[in-house]
Amino acid sequence: MSNQRVSRRQFLNYTLTGVGGFMAAGMLMPMVRFAIDPVLTAEAGGDFISTGTSIDELSDVPTRVDFSYEQVDAWYTSEVTNTAWVYLDESQNVIALNPTCKHLGCTVSWEGRESDPNRFFCPCHNGLYEKSGKNVPGTPPTAPLDMYETRVSDDGILQLGQVVPNTIAK
Amino acid sequence: MIWNTKDILLYFQEKKYIDTAVIPLLPVSFGEDAKQEADQAEFIPLVTALLEKQFKGRMLLLPPYTYFSTESDEQKKNRLNEWTTNLKDQGFTHVFLVTSDSFWRLAEDEMASELIWLPSIPMEHMDGKYKQKMIEDQVSQLLKIVVGKWQKN
Repeated sequence: MSNQRVSRRQFLNYTLTGVGGFMAAGMLMPMVRFAIDPVLTAEAGGDFISTGTSIDELSDVPTRVDFSYEQVDAWYTSEVTNTAWVYLDESQNVIALNPTCKHLGCTVSWEGRESDPNRFFCPCHNGLYEKSGKNVPGTPPTAPLDMYETRVSDDGILQLGQVVPNTIAK
Repeated sequence: MIWNTKDILLYFQEKKYIDTAVIPLLPVSFGEDAKQEADQAEFIPLVTALLEKQFKGRMLLLPPYTYFSTESDEQKKNRLNEWTTNLKDQGFTHVFLVTSDSFWRLAEDEMASELIWLPSIPMEHMDGKYKQKMIEDQVSQLLKIVVGKWQKN
């Protein structure tokens, strides 16, 4: 035991400061957390989804790649499956096109009509797109197909990100 | 397009491109067929939703036409014919009815629209991947039917 005696006044001071401190912290912490919240949110645009398709499987012919992710709509969680048409261009870059027709949103497919080889075809109103996604003039679509951001993981699996406007159609 | 606020506004803008309507037909009852009818209520909406996704720009998917299977045959048919007449007046040249209820199979000749009858597949024991594959296979058949019908006229 130490010889220093704690007076009643000191004891009360310490306890009150201690308890008061906790109470103040309890009020201030949430406020601070709210204030800096925008800084801490993860960037929504940075999410890439793994497709399960290896890039070795890709060639210069567009292939259909399906990938799915969980989507939460209010309290209802569902698994959404999206499709991309993926191929390698001349310099072996991965190109992933979003098959949603720019006319009214049907799903286009590669060589979907026998009379139009090497083109994407939309069955709804006979829209056509070149391999680069460029819309063929004279058919209903007015813009080129959108693309997905692409990334290849360390073990060679293709990952797809956000839908972005087409950058390769000339 | 789906019967929701966003799509219906687009529908009115682009009306001339949308000439196809799809109606799922779903029976309800509490008799011995109840389980089988509940299976249909799970299976048919998945099929029509995927069908709509493929043909979004030319197709309007309506809310299901539902009825008690104990209703009289006449009533079921008349009310449905009312739906299709209204749709045809609206400019839908193609009306597809999608169902697993065998009642409509027998009544097919009397219906003024295209009936697509699919055998219902109970999915309660299927896992997600397999279920998806199965629905996709079913729908790929439907796509051919719909495109075929479009090309005919």
